[in-house]
Amino acid sequence: MSLALAVMIVLIVVVILALAVFLIATIVQLVKINRGLATVISSVGEIVAKTAPVNGVLDAINGTLITGRNLLEGLFLKKAGDDAGGLVESVFPGEGAKFQRRVGRGGPVHNIGPTYPRGAAILASLLGTPPPAAEAAAPPPAHGTPEGRIRLSPRSPSGGGVATAPPPAPAPPAADAPPPTPGRITLRSRAAPMISAQPASSPAQPGPGASGATEDASVPGRVSARGGRPWER
Amino acid sequence: MAALWIMNIVLLAVAPVLVILLAGVLKSAKSIVPRVDAIAGVAAAASKDLDAVVVLLTTQNYISQVVGSLANYGGSLDAALPDA
Repeated sequence: MSLALAVMIVLIVVVILALAVFLIATIVQLVKINRGLATVISSVGEIVAKTAPVNGVLDAINGTLITGRNLLEGLFLKKAGDDAGGLVESVFPGEGAKFQRRVGRGGPVHNIGPTYPRGAAILASLLGTPPPAAEAAAPPPAHGTPEGRIRLSPRSPSGGGVATAPPPAPAPPAADAPPPTPGRITLRSRAAPMISAQPASSPAQPGPGASGATEDASVPGRVSARGGRPWER
Repeated sequence: MAALWIMNIVLLAVAPVLVILLAGVLKSAKSIVPRVDAIAGVAAAASKDLDAVVVLLTTQNYISQVVGSLANYGGSLDAALPDA
C-alpha cells in the first residue's frame, strides 16, 4: 500500500468521525428542543382554554354597562333638557360634544359650569337679570375644580333656576353686571321675580309663578327669599 | 499516484470547512434550547396568571346587580325630579 493511499484513508476516517460527532451533538440538542416545545405547547393549550370564555363574558359586561350608561344618559337628557350637554361639559371637559352626538343632538355645547360664580346665579335668578360675568366674580377655589361654581338645572316647576351648589355668597349687583357674552347662558328669559311687583308691606305673599324672592322690608334694597318657600311657612 | 495526492489535498482542504459548518449548526441548536426553556417558563406563568379569569364571572354578576340597582335609582329619580 502506497503512502498516498494510506494518507487518504486516514483523512476520510477523520472526516467521518467529525461528521458523526457533530451530527450526534446536533441530534441531542434537537431532542432537547423538542421536549421544550412540547412543554410550551401544553402551557399554550392551557392559556387558550382559559381565555376562551373571556370574550363572551366581556361582551356581556360591556352590554350591561352600555345599558346602564344609556339609561343614565336618557334620564339626564330627560331631566336637564337642552342644558344636558353643557352640564356634561362642565363636569367632564371635552365630553359634552360626544354626549350630544351620542344622544343625537346638535348645536354648540356651552360649558355652563364655570359660567356662574358662587351665589351669583341664585341672586340673578331671583332678580331676573343675567348673572355677572365669571371674570368679575370671586376667584375660583385654589384647587381649580368646578365645585366652587354654581350649576343650574334648566327649569324648575316654579320657573326659576334651581341652584345645586351651596348657599350663595355675596355677589355684585346684577344691575352692574356686563351684558352676557356670546355662548354664555343667561337667565334673562326666565320669569322675573316679584321684587318690583310686591309691595314692601306684604313680603310673604309672592305671586303665582314667582321664584320665591321678595324684598325685605327691614333693609331697603335687600333681597330675601324668605316666605316664598313652602317649607318655611 | 499523482491523482491520489491531489485527492488528499482536496480532502485536507474540505475537512476544516466541514468542521466549521457543523460547529455552526451545533452552536445554533444549542442556542435554541435555553430560549425554548424560557418560553416554556413564561407560558406556564401566563397560564397560572389566567386562573383569575374565572373571577370575571363573579364580576359580571356584580355588574348586573349594580346596573339593576342603578336602574331602580334612576326610576326613583325620574319620579322625584321634574322633567326639563
